Amino acid sequence: MLTAAELTLLSRLDLAYRRSRNGLYAGERRSPRAARSPEFSDFRPYVPGDDFRQIDWRAYARLERLTLRLYVAEEEACLNVVLDASESMALGTPPKWPAARRLAAALGFLGLAAMDRVTLGTLDGRFLPPLRGRDGVGRMWQFLAGLEPAGESGPDGLARLRWARPGMTVVVSDFMAADEEGMAADWSPALAAVGGRRQEPVLWQVLAPDEERPWITGDLKLVDPETRRDREMTITPAVVADYGRALAALRSRLARASEAAGGRFISSESDADLERHMLAGLRAGVLRRG
Amino acid sequence: MQLIAPLGALAALAIPLIILLYFLKVKRPEVRVATLVLWRRHLADRQANAPWQRLRWSVLLAVQLLAALLITAALVRPGVSGAAGVGKTTVVLLDASASMRATDAAPDRFGAAVARTRQLANSLAPGEEMAIILMGDHSQLLAAPTSDSAALGSALDRVRPGGGTSDLAEGISLANAILSGRPGGSIILLGDGHSRPPVVPPRVVAPLTYVPVGYSDQNSAIETLSRAGAGTLFLRVANYGRQARDLKVEMYADGRLADVLPVHVDGNSSSDLSWTRLPADAQLVEARLTPPDVLGIDDEAWLLTGAPPARAVLLVTDENGFMARALSLRPGVKVTTVAPKDYRPGAYDLYVFDRFVPPGKLPEPALVIDPPAGLGPVPAGPPIDPGAVLPANPRDPLLTDVDLRDVHVQVAARVTAPAGWRTVIAAVGAPLLLAHEGEPRVAELTFDIHHSDLPLRAAFPILVDNLLSYLLPGGFENQSFALGQPVTLAAEAGATEVDVTTPDGRVSRLRPPLAPFTDTQTPGVYGVRQVVPGGARLSRFVVQFVDPSLSRVAPGAAAIPIEDNDLRKVPAAPRGTLELWPWLVAGVLVLLVAEWLIYLRGR
Repeated sequence: MLTAAELTLLSRLDLAYRRSRNGLYAGERRSPRAARSPEFSDFRPYVPGDDFRQIDWRAYARLERLTLRLYVAEEEACLNVVLDASESMALGTPPKWPAARRLAAALGFLGLAAMDRVTLGTLDGRFLPPLRGRDGVGRMWQFLAGLEPAGESGPDGLARLRWARPGMTVVVSDFMAADEEGMAADWSPALAAVGGRRQEPVLWQVLAPDEERPWITGDLKLVDPETRRDREMTITPAVVADYGRALAALRSRLARASEAAGGRFISSESDADLERHMLAGLRAGVLRRG
Repeated sequence: MQLIAPLGALAALAIPLIILLYFLKVKRPEVRVATLVLWRRHLADRQANAPWQRLRWSVLLAVQLLAALLITAALVRPGVSGAAGVGKTTVVLLDASASMRATDAAPDRFGAAVARTRQLANSLAPGEEMAIILMGDHSQLLAAPTSDSAALGSALDRVRPGGGTSDLAEGISLANAILSGRPGGSIILLGDGHSRPPVVPPRVVAPLTYVPVGYSDQNSAIETLSRAGAGTLFLRVANYGRQARDLKVEMYADGRLADVLPVHVDGNSSSDLSWTRLPADAQLVEARLTPPDVLGIDDEAWLLTGAPPARAVLLVTDENGFMARALSLRPGVKVTTVAPKDYRPGAYDLYVFDRFVPPGKLPEPALVIDPPAGLGPVPAGPPIDPGAVLPANPRDPLLTDVDLRDVHVQVAARVTAPAGWRTVIAAVGAPLLLAHEGEPRVAELTFDIHHSDLPLRAAFPILVDNLLSYLLPGGFENQSFALGQPVTLAAEAGATEVDVTTPDGRVSRLRPPLAPFTDTQTPGVYGVRQVVPGGARLSRFVVQFVDPSLSRVAPGAAAIPIEDNDLRKVPAAPRGTLELWPWLVAGVLVLLVAEWLIYLRGR
């Protein structure tokens, strides 16, 4: 799924969670709560009721005052990677599906490498039970390799997700779903629901270059493979320009919706290599250098 | 209004086809896209479930139907009768006289005139026509009025300058005939002004523009090359330019350079030379003028020194001193005169019967003068007063250099030219001189020369000499002819075929009876090979350019005697049909451009 060079690249990156972790188990993520851990944090005077096991006796010997030694609490974080496996993801030149699947694999790898609890699934409800540690990489890739784009999916699938845990929920999709009336689907309710479940939504849009800048022209019959709807159009430069404006408006709506839910919006193209995908994540603040 | 090609109306079938196409839905290629959402604002409200659709009003449909209608109208070629000549017609008179060979224009004057004509043909505007008349010895219509520049160019591809002068009156007459009934026409004369001036100022029906070709007057020529005695030749070198020239005359004997004669000639004058070093056995002498000038054809002259073969002529007459003297003027002719009562056929090359016709078959060749009534090859009728003497055809070889204007005939016999005979000299009442076409060679004068002043005129010995050239076999041998002049080749008795080789190596094969040889546009020595029983007989004659009026090459030297007249004010008679298809095709083009612009705007 990923090459050795790409794994080396990923080893220098880490996920940048915004929300506080609330893992069930101790992990490697810094927690805002002080706790025992190998990493020193600070000193503070002892007050009655404090855990006397945290008193620094060496400091008492030197200063003759009771001082507590504080450590950084490390907890596990939860990463939910939600992949859009609808039929539209197979379109584009180059197709979006391989790029989206590799992006999901990379994000999952970052979570597993940081001992996060990683859950991988699709918008249509398929998912892999939570994994933790690098031992889960093989199972994750096996799950991803078994997926093929088919069917239809949209924001309703995201709203209905039950397997996602509080933490970061990265949705990798083209976000080009339509509602029943053929209008652009509204992702705001679904993102609000995700936020309400204490999840930080990250929308990662993957489009093909010919979807960013269509080069089709002439009298064509456009077919949506998910809805099976078609429309006859005469594609001209003016029409393509309007398409570009509509795409920009769609992205603007997605960014506003994700920020309203405390999340972020990222866009990258299917012809980009993993390094460029990761750079987009770095710029959006979803990733950081480890 | 009339339709020239009504079958073109079949093109109207395109109109229902166009409408049918608008009923059909366009079969569009399918393209899978991730969503229709982003394209939605531009979707046409048409579903692709049926091959037919409701006919929708479209500007494009209207434009296409109108274009189909115009194309159909153009194909049936509608025309308005009696309105022809609306487009301008230009008649180009192309001077093809020998002076147009002068090389002071590139490639020469004639080539430059042809190029200018071609340029005019290529710049014809729609509706304009052009005709081309080539003015040589005879003016000929090279291209009838047409707007097809390719046809005009093709006609120009095959023209070449002649060896003589050009007849301006004939050319203008032809141009008038073309422009008659075509108002707005014009005539363009391309030449160097050396056309033969008309006797009477011609009338023109359209404005004439004279475009002179060439600029130089620097030309010298060998005007005369003749024998002046045993071993001596006489030359006259003329300089037609304004500046004196120092020239050299190279003398060749049988192709070998024998001498070079320096000569100084003042401007517009000539110098005479005598060359006494003619080799005794030389058969052909060529004089060549150097250095070359703008006109090359008059820089060379040839002389065949061999005497024409002796010919025996029997003159049967009671008394005709004029004829005996005229006959004996020709070198090599031995005249024997006998009275009719002493006539006996013998080994003569020509018989001349004066007021006498022998009984039985007429010996050949023969010239019969004033035969008795009811006799003669063309039986003579009653005597008449013939009136004015006129040439039947001024260009008849028998009338070369014969001026009949001051000739009068008192009485002649009424005859009618039978089939196979041509009238050479005519009068108001009857022919005066007839010649049999081809073999046998017989001619008949229908009047007694003593009853006319013909023997007293300069035309008489020339006419007799021309008759001898025609009647005597081999009359062309060792003779010199003017460039372009038809040469009468009299075949030897029994000759089965005659090959004539021109100076540039072309061979013309002729078979008796021989028509006059007309391919004499190249100056030089012509070889004649006659195949006769027992072998072949070789002879030669010379064709050379000697015409001082054409050697004087300065353009515009000759006046163009054109006078305007009221003819152009005469309303044109309705003629022909004005075709409307060019305008219809132009309308189609405009519609096609409009359709394209509408389509682009719709995008």
